[in-house]
Amino acid sequence: MNKIKKLVPGSLAVLLSAVSAPALAAQIPSAMAGQSLRPYWHVFIAYAIAITVVLGWVISIGRRMRQVEERLGE
Amino acid sequence: MSTKGMRRAGTGLAVVGLLGLMFVYWLSFFWVSTEANQGVAQRIFYVHVPAAWTAFLAFGLCALTSAMYLWLRDDRLDRAAVAAAEGGMVFGAIMLTTGPLWGRIAWGTYWTWEPRLTLTLLLWFIFLGYFMVRSSTENPEKGKRFAAVVAIVGALDIPFIHLSVLWFRSLHPQPVVVKPDGPTLPGDMLTTLLTSVAAFTVLFLGLFMLRYALEGLHRELDARARRVAA
Repeated sequence: MNKIKKLVPGSLAVLLSAVSAPALAAQIPSAMAGQSLRPYWHVFIAYAIAITVVLGWVISIGRRMRQVEERLGE
Repeated sequence: MSTKGMRRAGTGLAVVGLLGLMFVYWLSFFWVSTEANQGVAQRIFYVHVPAAWTAFLAFGLCALTSAMYLWLRDDRLDRAAVAAAEGGMVFGAIMLTTGPLWGRIAWGTYWTWEPRLTLTLLLWFIFLGYFMVRSSTENPEKGKRFAAVVAIVGALDIPFIHLSVLWFRSLHPQPVVVKPDGPTLPGDMLTTLLTSVAAFTVLFLGLFMLRYALEGLHRELDARARRVAA
């Protein structure tokens, strides 16, 4: 029973993707039909990497600062 | 400036830089026109080029403070060098990951061993070596001096990276902004690029100040540990 419960979310995700993909594809303007969506993905990934790396550094500095302050306070 | 003042100024600059970065994202997605030849993929330019500029600024600052450290032996200069080197690694990582994403669309390949790419990757690894050298000696003072030399040698690579597209056949385009007869970018693209360069620079300066303050706290902790041990 537990195994079935674990499989349900994954199966739902696959099913929803299969159903929604044609619907999403139908929304692409006819001028773009035949063009690859790969450039869009690359742009989104590049911008996501930039903000993730910057925020990662911000969080890393903040965490290290807190740790050092805690040790200095001891 | 005291550590507290440095933290306050750094936090303020970092917040302004992050807001600036959000504004750049808005400009890139909703305002700037799409380049005719490369299409939407050219928008990667607005994060890739400013990240590259900031990485070179950081590595250059690290080399400058390292050279001054070797001359004056002031510990604050070494703190600044470490903070700048870490920033260079972070912005260098953005440059080295966004570039191939653009290259795959523009050139049809993620990576090629052309001069500019090779020299930039070499620069990133030299500064990775900077951190390894720092921590590889038993005497921390010796580690600082060795690392300072690595930083100076590494920064010598920066002019070669800039000039490599002029000296060698390269897939990278020729300069479009920094050139003797002025920029050749259309106005809206130049505005977005310069705004992004400003945002990245302010963000770097803010985080550099915070990292410098953190390095100060680390040294305070080390000094206390030494006192306790003595």
